Amino acid sequence: MSLKETLQSGKFVVTAEVGPPKGTDIATMLHDMHLLKGKLDAVNVTDNQSAVMRISSVAVCKIAIEQGLEPILQMTCRDRNRIALQSDLLGASVLGIHNVLIMTGDHVSAGDQKGAKPVYDIESVQLLQVVDGLNNGHDMYGNALKGATSFFQGAVVTPEANPLEPQLMKFKKKVKAGANFFQTQAIYDIDKFKEFMAFARQFPVKVLAGLVVLKSAGMANFLNNNVPGIKVPQSLIDELKAAGKEKAGDTGLNITARHIRQLKEEGICDGVHIMAIGMEDKVPTILQRAGLL
Amino acid sequence: MIITIKKDTKKLLETLDRYKSFYLIGCSECASLCGTGNEEAIKELTEALTAAGKTVTGGIVPTTGCQTLGTKVELKKDKDASGEAEVIIAMSCGAGTQSAVEIFPDKPVYPANDTMFLGNMTRFQMFDERCSLCGDCVLELTGGICPVTNCPKGLLNGPCGGMKDGNCEVSADIKCAWVRIYERQKKLNELEKMEDIAPPKDWSKSQKPHSLYNKEDKQKDKAGATHSDKTAKSVGAPPLKEKK
Repeated sequence: MSLKETLQSGKFVVTAEVGPPKGTDIATMLHDMHLLKGKLDAVNVTDNQSAVMRISSVAVCKIAIEQGLEPILQMTCRDRNRIALQSDLLGASVLGIHNVLIMTGDHVSAGDQKGAKPVYDIESVQLLQVVDGLNNGHDMYGNALKGATSFFQGAVVTPEANPLEPQLMKFKKKVKAGANFFQTQAIYDIDKFKEFMAFARQFPVKVLAGLVVLKSAGMANFLNNNVPGIKVPQSLIDELKAAGKEKAGDTGLNITARHIRQLKEEGICDGVHIMAIGMEDKVPTILQRAGLL
Repeated sequence: MIITIKKDTKKLLETLDRYKSFYLIGCSECASLCGTGNEEAIKELTEALTAAGKTVTGGIVPTTGCQTLGTKVELKKDKDASGEAEVIIAMSCGAGTQSAVEIFPDKPVYPANDTMFLGNMTRFQMFDERCSLCGDCVLELTGGICPVTNCPKGLLNGPCGGMKDGNCEVSADIKCAWVRIYERQKKLNELEKMEDIAPPKDWSKSQKPHSLYNKEDKQKDKAGATHSDKTAKSVGAPPLKEKK
């Protein structure tokens, strides 16, 4: 079933992330895909995440299809101008890729190609409009396409952004620009997330809560200090600390599973997006503990 | 103004190694305010060149180095000194340097400075970039704060996910342009301006090289284009077709 159909069916949707490797050896990635097959509704393929150069997300989405997964093509505005973005979208469409997640993209200064020219010819809100146009049979200059695309388009939002108001204004623009679904930056405080959902529920969009799996108290502190829009509450840091070094990883899986269970049981949002960051093989365990497998 | 910084003197001397005599041209405008093209800077470079065994035949701080005709007239008074030199060193911005190239078609012209950006002088010799000369001003939509310049990504529709506690992901020293815009619009009671989606920028307006000819009788025919009005134009830029 396509992601669109799954979300429309009302099922609690689960997506996770596959990061394309740097280099042509895709054995580990294929192994992870194999583990995830049949357990997820869709898999996000990141686009040169953190501005670190890797295999193109379009290529890996195609491989995901071959491996029996439903891919979500992540597209950033960092590396391509409007010609390349539209061209890659048409290319993705003919390869059978029909879900896109549009985002700005981390600045090149975060990555491993620091002298690169950051592009941002158009940005996320505008690219969502472009996708909408391609779906309606024309490019961004109004030229007719021979064959339209049929993208189900998503966007990202940071519910814990500080300050929050400018972020919510951008969320509204993304909805206006044609976003069908949202995957959020990692959230850890479910009560605070409920407040965000009360706002988001005013709009006709599906929302998947982003969950980054914690490995240790150290990682939680690192996220709090270094990653924009992420706030791990002290209670979770204490829980990881109390588990001790040996068991912290397992506790991290439990925390994610517990959050999934609560989000689903209380009907807070439409699904979850699990970012395991190098622990993709642990996703089935999390889903099992959340009662989803 | 155009912000310049001095090239590393040691490296500059290395590039000039094969030449013996020099004439120095500064600029009394931007480069003087930057301290890169004033009398003092000329004196300093003269000393460095002399210490390296070179001859400096003379120097001048023209009124406006990038004003080619005016600078040419000012330089006439010092014709002998500049004529004696093998090489001209331009101590202005890249524009002033290229005026010197026009004035001295038969001599090599070397830049002493790197040209950085269009800057606002906030305090003495402290400069910040506020405008990037994009040719398609959006300041009326953004509370007078330019996101094209103040946001490293040039975003037109709000902050990205990299904003952390009001600061930019590129550097915590940069306040997020969109948080600044938000705060200002809120203060001015104009937050509704942030609700409309800003369209993609027309980058053809910043297509290089730009020319602007205000006097019709002095029109030049550059790259096959003529200009009949008094507006700035990018030569050869295709018009945007918005059929949507």
